[in-house]
Amino acid sequence: MAWKRTILVSALLLGAVAYAGPANNSLVVGTSQEPPNIYDPWNTNNLAIASEINGFMGASLIAPDDDGDLYAEIATTVPTLANGGYKIVKNAAGDVVRNSMTYSIRKDAKWSDGKPITIADFQFWLKVQNDDRVPVPSRTPWDRAKITPVDADTFTVTFEPPYLFADQTGPSAAPSHVMSAAWNAFDNATKNQKDAKVVSEEWKKFISSFTTARNLPKVVAGPFRPTAWRPGNSLTMVRNPNYWRTPKGGDDKYVQTVTYRFIPNTNTLKVNVLSGQLDAISAVSLTFDQALDLQRSERNKFKTYFVPGAIWEHIDVNARSPKAKDLDLDDPRMRQALLMSIDRDALVKALFQGKQAVSNSWVNPISKLYKKNVRDYNLNVTQAKALFADLGWKPGSDGILTKNGKKLSLSFSTTAGNTTRERVQQILQDQWKKVGVQVNIQNYPSSVFFGPDMLSKGQEGKWDLAMYAWTGNPVFEEGNLFKGEGVPTAANGYAGQNYAGWNNADFNKLQKQAQSEFDLAERIKLFDRMQTIWSSEVPSLPLYYRVNPYTKVNGLLNYTFSAYTLYPSWNAYQIGWASRGAAEVNKQK
Amino acid sequence: MFNYILRRIVQMIPLLLVISFIIYGLTALQPGDPVDRLAFGDPNITPEDVARLRAAYGLDQPIYERYLHWLGQVLHGNFGYSQDFNIPAVEFVFQQRMPNTLLLTVPALILSTLIAVPLGIYSAVRQYSAMDYGMTFLSFIAFSTPVFWIGAMALYLFAVYLPGVTNGAVALPPGGLGGDVPPEAGWFAVALDKVKYLVLPLCILMLREVAATTRFMRASMLEVLNQDFIRTARAKGLPGRRVLYKHALRNAMVPILTIMGLSIPGLFGGAVITETVFSWPGMGKAILDALVSKDFNVVMVALMLLSVLTVVFQLITDLTYALVDPRIRYS
Repeated sequence: MAWKRTILVSALLLGAVAYAGPANNSLVVGTSQEPPNIYDPWNTNNLAIASEINGFMGASLIAPDDDGDLYAEIATTVPTLANGGYKIVKNAAGDVVRNSMTYSIRKDAKWSDGKPITIADFQFWLKVQNDDRVPVPSRTPWDRAKITPVDADTFTVTFEPPYLFADQTGPSAAPSHVMSAAWNAFDNATKNQKDAKVVSEEWKKFISSFTTARNLPKVVAGPFRPTAWRPGNSLTMVRNPNYWRTPKGGDDKYVQTVTYRFIPNTNTLKVNVLSGQLDAISAVSLTFDQALDLQRSERNKFKTYFVPGAIWEHIDVNARSPKAKDLDLDDPRMRQALLMSIDRDALVKALFQGKQAVSNSWVNPISKLYKKNVRDYNLNVTQAKALFADLGWKPGSDGILTKNGKKLSLSFSTTAGNTTRERVQQILQDQWKKVGVQVNIQNYPSSVFFGPDMLSKGQEGKWDLAMYAWTGNPVFEEGNLFKGEGVPTAANGYAGQNYAGWNNADFNKLQKQAQSEFDLAERIKLFDRMQTIWSSEVPSLPLYYRVNPYTKVNGLLNYTFSAYTLYPSWNAYQIGWASRGAAEVNKQK
Repeated sequence: MFNYILRRIVQMIPLLLVISFIIYGLTALQPGDPVDRLAFGDPNITPEDVARLRAAYGLDQPIYERYLHWLGQVLHGNFGYSQDFNIPAVEFVFQQRMPNTLLLTVPALILSTLIAVPLGIYSAVRQYSAMDYGMTFLSFIAFSTPVFWIGAMALYLFAVYLPGVTNGAVALPPGGLGGDVPPEAGWFAVALDKVKYLVLPLCILMLREVAATTRFMRASMLEVLNQDFIRTARAKGLPGRRVLYKHALRNAMVPILTIMGLSIPGLFGGAVITETVFSWPGMGKAILDALVSKDFNVVMVALMLLSVLTVVFQLITDLTYALVDPRIRYS
């Protein structure tokens, strides 16, 4: 008998691990990050993975689809200038002084407990969002917004001063019938409290009672509601029967349960994909190289996608240190020469199989503001050498360019440990060496590189070339990355993100105009000129817009995203399996 | 004995205070703070926002003030909230991570000791035999193979390759904690599910433990076997087994006890690489993440716990010497 038991236990131990799949109409998603909390209406943690997971549980008044076109979710329609829902008010001089959006809430829009979503929920959200005691990362643009009820279901959101993107976004809703009592307790406990730390602890007490593994969100508005969160392991959500939008053919033909598995090590995540444990992976998961590896191992079980994203990889050129002046880095010709010395096309072919397109502007190529014919600095060693010579740089006996006894020797920094960036550095170092530019790689841990004493201290000569990334949102583009006011200095407390220190009067003027230009067609013209100036001066050497890789099992439908939607959860209610009768309404572009 | 223990406990207090200040100071001196992470990725965040957030989290105060505030709160039993998880730091450490770590490290220590001690004794008694050479060779291989590599290989073998060639008959989960079996399925099914997920990280963690303890045990045993009192015992005609297990083993266990005693705090500290490779949410990974994101309260709770355990087990180890070595007395 003992041997039989041994065989049985061994079989159970080594046998059949439960595979993910459509068998029980569920979805298992793998991700490399775990959110600190979920469904925090004020998004105080600002993390991508939290936003992705919240997409399954949240609902918006209006939101963009994969093409960037707005659709109404809680609202009955998308307010526009044409239908009168979006209004712009100008003064006698023709300047826009305020703008407003009027929304009507759908009659069938409900919280997961069946209570209707009301104007009070939006007002409650706005009140907390703008409360001084609440540590929201940014209050923009809600600190200038006001909600005015029109009738029981209709309200107007007015921005004064006006908000450039008022027609692209709406306020969030927080379940006031559930949260108000706790908020009032927080309010009473901190009303006259001077100690910020005590206020901060009280806030954590308030928000953690609705958003953590121990206290799951009590009600949600979106198509799924959370049922279990096992910290460090998984989060499970089930379909919310009170969600009002119904996919084609009925809810039962679409995914009923979504489980996120938290797998911090991306190599282990890869093994999970290969072993069939995951139906899909999140937008916050694999590196590009790992996705390429997986693409080679698909064997008709899953497919790997590379989605053009919103992350712009570039190299800032420090144009404001004493060394920068000696080495002519403050001269556009030097920066042009540096850009023409490198073969970015070959770089993206060699490292990314051409899947990440070379960029020539900081503006996202899918944005309406992108200038399609912006100058493309293809590899042109002859012209680069001519520009160096123009500036007085001559090759020395060792082949390195010299001028006034100084060598053209630059430090090149990025985040240490990022293998992709380190490989890019080596390729570029080699290409610059060929034209006589000596580049010394000097990398730092992320905490140092992005810390207070590095990028913003360009004036002190902490770096010459710095490679990193910005998010280039295709919709909310204001051109403020390179505005003169954004140059961090001791005088402004090192505020601003124009680390290269580029300050161009014409660009600044156009950028200011663009910030208050509410006519998109006119703003496109302004951005056209801004990009012309920017590309002739190249304050930063543009490299490429990153793609976002992910995988999904064959037969999983409507699990898509783009640089507009950012996460596959934007369309959660329509995610389903072909074999269970789900209809395909979105294809991954 | 009692006075000795009391004196040692009193000495612990200033020592732990100094340790707490050093840990707090070093964490605070790392470049950047939690607000940087929020600010960097969001061009909408203004300098005013950054200043407001720093003030809200008390990061605008000097380190010593922040430390004294923390210490004052701790003396009132408040260890603060985790910055990253918005839950009390104590709850995060003791309820969310510690049980997972102990589930992995305690069986690893017990099993590896049970395997390694007899192997070490055998290796010492049969010194220079083929078996001894073989075990020495395997110990060095196991000890010098990086955990992240062998862990990844094991994952691939048991979660991808073997399921492929056996049509799923032989398969182990590719990391994680398990827990998909509902409690209604019964305790045996739940336990078996847990074992399934535990078996690979446990084996990988044990590899190094077994290799190291075998080598220590062998060396310790050889040292004792070559001493005069063993020769005398043998000359007196005592049976070999009695010489080995009564006289030699008891003495050889003293350094092993020291090593084991001092490794017990490590059980609570987790095994960061193993936990990372197998996505096992334990203390090691939690401490590393908290240090990187500067989640002060979690860092302080976790590292102070390890510090307390280290000094306590140092004392316990010293006291156990008296039990195994009659020459040692604390009077």
